Amino acid sequence: MNRFIAIVLGFSAAASLTAAPADYSRDVKPLLAAQCVKCHGKSQQKGQLRLDTAAAAKTGGKHGPAVKPGKGTASLMIQAVEGKHAELPRMPYKRPPLDAPQIALLKRWIDAGAPAPANEQPSDDRHWAFIAPVRPAVPLIRNPQFAIRNSIDSFIRARLEQAKIKPSPEADRYTLIRRLSLDLTGLPPTIAEIDAFVNDRSADAYAKLVDRLLDSPHYGERWGRWWLDVARYADSNGYSIDAPRQIWKYRDWVINAFNRDLPFDQFTIEQLAGDLLPNATAEQKIATGFHRNTQINQEGGIDKEQFRIESVFDRVNTTMTAWQGVTFGCAQCHDHKFDPFTQKDYYRLFAFLNNQDEPTLELPDPSADRSALEMERAEALGDLERYLGTAGGDLDRAEAALSEESRAALKSAVLKALKTPLAKRTLAQTRLLHAELRANDQEFKAKNDRLARAESSKAGMVSTMVLAESAKPRETVMFIKGDFTRRGEPVQSDVPAALPRLVAPPSGKTPNRLDLARWLVSPENPLTARVAMNRIWQQYFGKGLVETENDFGTMGLPPSHPELLDWLATELIRQKWSLKAMHRLIVNSATYQQSSHARPDLALKDPNNKLLARQNRLRLDAEIVRDVMLGASGLLSPKVGGPSVYPPIPDGAMSLGQVKRQWKPAQDSERYRRGMYTFYYRATPHPSLSVFDAPDAFSACTRRIRSNTPLQALTLLNDQACYEFSQALGERVLREGQGSDGERLDLAFRLCLARPPQAKERERLQQLFTQQKTAAADEREAWATLARVLLNLDETITRE
Amino acid sequence: MNPFDSSASLPGLTRRHFFSQCGLGVGSIALASMLGERRISAAPTGGVKLVNPMAPKHPQFSPRAKNVIYLFMAGGPSQLELFDHKPQLAEFHGKDIPASFLEGKRFAFMDSSFKGAARLLGPQRQFRQHGQSGAWVSEIFPHTGGIVDDITLVKSCATNLFNHAPAKLFMNTGTGQFGRPSMGAWVTYGIGSEANDLPGFVVLQSGPRGPRGGAVNWSSGFLPTTYQGVPLRGQGEPILNLTTPAGVSASKQRATLDAIRDLNLARLVETGDPEITTRISAYEMAYRMQSSAPELIDLSGESPETLKLYGIEENKPSFARNCLLARRLVELGVRFVQLYHTNWDSHGGPGENLEEDFEKVCHDVDQGQAALVKDLKARGLLKDTLVIWGGEFGRTPMGEPRNKTGRNHHIDAFTMWFAGGGVKAGQVLGETDDFGFNAVHDRAHVHDLHATILHLLGLDHEKLTFRFQGREFRLTDVEGEVLTKMLA
Repeated sequence: MNRFIAIVLGFSAAASLTAAPADYSRDVKPLLAAQCVKCHGKSQQKGQLRLDTAAAAKTGGKHGPAVKPGKGTASLMIQAVEGKHAELPRMPYKRPPLDAPQIALLKRWIDAGAPAPANEQPSDDRHWAFIAPVRPAVPLIRNPQFAIRNSIDSFIRARLEQAKIKPSPEADRYTLIRRLSLDLTGLPPTIAEIDAFVNDRSADAYAKLVDRLLDSPHYGERWGRWWLDVARYADSNGYSIDAPRQIWKYRDWVINAFNRDLPFDQFTIEQLAGDLLPNATAEQKIATGFHRNTQINQEGGIDKEQFRIESVFDRVNTTMTAWQGVTFGCAQCHDHKFDPFTQKDYYRLFAFLNNQDEPTLELPDPSADRSALEMERAEALGDLERYLGTAGGDLDRAEAALSEESRAALKSAVLKALKTPLAKRTLAQTRLLHAELRANDQEFKAKNDRLARAESSKAGMVSTMVLAESAKPRETVMFIKGDFTRRGEPVQSDVPAALPRLVAPPSGKTPNRLDLARWLVSPENPLTARVAMNRIWQQYFGKGLVETENDFGTMGLPPSHPELLDWLATELIRQKWSLKAMHRLIVNSATYQQSSHARPDLALKDPNNKLLARQNRLRLDAEIVRDVMLGASGLLSPKVGGPSVYPPIPDGAMSLGQVKRQWKPAQDSERYRRGMYTFYYRATPHPSLSVFDAPDAFSACTRRIRSNTPLQALTLLNDQACYEFSQALGERVLREGQGSDGERLDLAFRLCLARPPQAKERERLQQLFTQQKTAAADEREAWATLARVLLNLDETITRE
Repeated sequence: MNPFDSSASLPGLTRRHFFSQCGLGVGSIALASMLGERRISAAPTGGVKLVNPMAPKHPQFSPRAKNVIYLFMAGGPSQLELFDHKPQLAEFHGKDIPASFLEGKRFAFMDSSFKGAARLLGPQRQFRQHGQSGAWVSEIFPHTGGIVDDITLVKSCATNLFNHAPAKLFMNTGTGQFGRPSMGAWVTYGIGSEANDLPGFVVLQSGPRGPRGGAVNWSSGFLPTTYQGVPLRGQGEPILNLTTPAGVSASKQRATLDAIRDLNLARLVETGDPEITTRISAYEMAYRMQSSAPELIDLSGESPETLKLYGIEENKPSFARNCLLARRLVELGVRFVQLYHTNWDSHGGPGENLEEDFEKVCHDVDQGQAALVKDLKARGLLKDTLVIWGGEFGRTPMGEPRNKTGRNHHIDAFTMWFAGGGVKAGQVLGETDDFGFNAVHDRAHVHDLHATILHLLGLDHEKLTFRFQGREFRLTDVEGEVLTKMLA
């Protein structure tokens, strides 16, 4: 129902161009296609009627012609949509009625003789998102006062013009540089950068700023993190044990890929199938870590195959969520209820991702930080030793029960261990004996495996988890009702039937992951470019053009600006999948550069700012809340990449998981790394990240929620790290500030907010400072208090 | 006119209000009045109302209940071992369920059980009748048996979704999709909260793990984020970062907060963004929570009799402790308290069987939940407090072929109970067929339960709406009827 209303809204703007003659191709046909052809089109002909061409409408169905040219009121179509026909139910059947302007549009068209082009092609009755985008014409704007910087503005402002809404003025320069810096790099601008931009009166000052920021290595961090949400990246194995893992090389690969503007098609191919490329480089193999970001269950007594299959389910679902924006996971157990995906489609796709081994790649890296792994090794060792202490009796019994024949069949190392007196046995020997003689002890096995895993990582090397194609392919079968214990018919790898066909590999070969990846980024694929552009748009405006960014299927919402979405999707391909080109395009638009201030007129006309007559204020992402404080306080370590780090953490935060993990806060510059490098335990994520809605890394996250809670206030006020930042900012202001207290105050303000304070704001801060300075023994304390206020402001953690 | 206008018109109003009437100082004074009392007795004046979205609001009609305590039994407790007494099922133990039960059912997930070795499983516990109402309750719930005269048992509950996370969302938000507000969010949006120094919607958890789905179960969805549930820990520092940093005196903390508030207000006037209103409220709430939350979890003022009634062991987190905290929260005016307890997912696998595992989880909750009802009653709070008990679904009359005894998820009939807040006492509502498979009388679908709960709170479920994505949304979507038989 909501879907329908949005469609109506989408068209009512066009339809409200009253008096203008009804244009069949532009106005009438899309309306009929959206409202009627599902039941009266190619697939179904209810009442033997088709409405997918004007000619078919004139021919009509079993009740006669739907359209009588020249006679609107007498036409069945009008009577049906008005609900005035004696026998026919009101149309669209069992769906909300058309609105008055839409009915008027149809009437006007019929009254004018129902003109339509000759040789008209029937409307496609497939769901819009499954039809490849066609590059639309850029609309013309009549109002000369509507600034048009590029085609984005033409699409956005044509709609505003129709709705008789004025766009907002450009934001001031302070807002612009802060907005741009945060959006492109996730860091606040420095004072020097602000002054340079504000004082640069050249016509291309803004464009130059954009280029500089896109060239910054921090661009890759900001937008890399955007992708890592989808990749469900984290530094631990998940489930209940949640042991640390090493896969930060993949994270760095992503950052680097953004920084070198690796085209999105190649970016896709390397992550899904880098290992299958001819002469695959180490980097291309590292990229396949994308699908190693699945959880690993290290509990005792589990069925490993069950959890391997869980990982494959996750890979299938994540692939379709990440690139196709559809709820494909529904088809795991049954045919999709709303979208044209069958359960067979699901397992055909599953077959692509069912043939992999899960090795780790060892890479030389003398600088590798092994502290997490060392801690894990020590913990795993302690855990196993404790267990062996309690299970000694079991081993004795197993030894005693050994028959002569079984003894003879043992390997020599085992025999040697057996002969070694209990007191002299090494740990390795005890482990070996348990493994040989007590093979059914799941608890031992789990603990022993955990230690073996921790021990396997070599000194001076860094490992990263990758995918590799299995030498012996597995047979893929359907799982009845998604239950892996109930094997159904075998299937071959293929893409969903409702989407374009896969280009078959050279004769005889079964299509593999590489073919799948190439299919995703082929120009025929209707979804990939749209989904990617929609999610990029969402970052800049808070909402996507398709608001249901994770559901482009029939239950999702239709795009607010369908033509713009298709234009952007085709533009991405035309720009050879360069994301930097698309970022440049969006941020250079007047639409992006608008003020985000609320307007009383919009509160009534467009309360949710769907038409984008202004920018949106957006609370910063969890990591960037931290980055802004690091930037303002001057503590920021600008290092890009490397192992994940351990900033301070509140007491008790690490004791919430099943296994209590150690967390030794870094004392060097690693203490001040950007938020995205904080070691991420899935079971016990750093509280300052989760409180600001960082994703949980259990499955692909395509949109973060932006909550606003007392717990966030408590974090910014009282968290040890935040308090440290306020003290550092206070000291920085004393150190770097020149002249009077007032000038220092302005400096502190601008370090946080880029803009100078307004008179009232300055007055209020001055009042606080004076009061604190009088009360404090040390001036630094008063500055730290002032800094704490500034770091807690709503504006500080908001992109305006 | 819709008395529950969305915040859409707020920016304009706020801006106009502050431009015309207030400088920073006046705004501060208005806000400062929020700091005084612990429990707001009357709706505050104009200026404050705008900046405190959680201020109490008048219900649409005279309410029967003022507060809600929702005991959420995560995982789906087996009604056939607890409340739905089916001696007939015992006779059919080990037999196939008649095919007629399955015809025409969209029951996808269950096929694995039907086609496999799953057969009808007789009740695994003895039942006996309790109280004047003579309601049947399992022997495994001795304490709960003692409160049957205070509750309405609804044996005919039904839901739509048969997997945990979506079903929990459905029970909490009326839909299986992410992004909709939970019941606690709707209620606090509708009538605010009388607690001035604790969130209006508080979540407590106990049991071996958090509920599947986690925070989405108490999300505010598309409603302003003020209305989302705030999780509290029952022990230690109840909330991380609750303590002011060392070296910051109380007066400095207050002076800092005052300045933050004033500058945020200035920005609100400048930008008209209602999120800043929420932020200001959040800071004030955070400040008050710094003292109220530690007081809340300090049970030293509770009498030994009370602690014994609940069965609370010292320094041990438990469901019982959370029940007592729920009473204390309601006393402080918190509108909606939700307790989650795991794990009720009795499939028959390790840690999840209907044998010793079920015994344990029943024991976890029995005394505490009964004590809560008794305690509320003794203190005169029960008449104003609606207590809800139930999971996201129930369990099948058929057993599951696993290593120990268990049952699968079942959505067509399961039991919940309700007490206080205008609910009829000592009543059993709804009846199921001989196997306990389908509800045959007084079917109570989740949408109907939602409608009824809102009704008890003085809210018409068809009128408690929020406009989003072009249409008015409700907790009950487009369905739901008030179950008048439940009302006292």
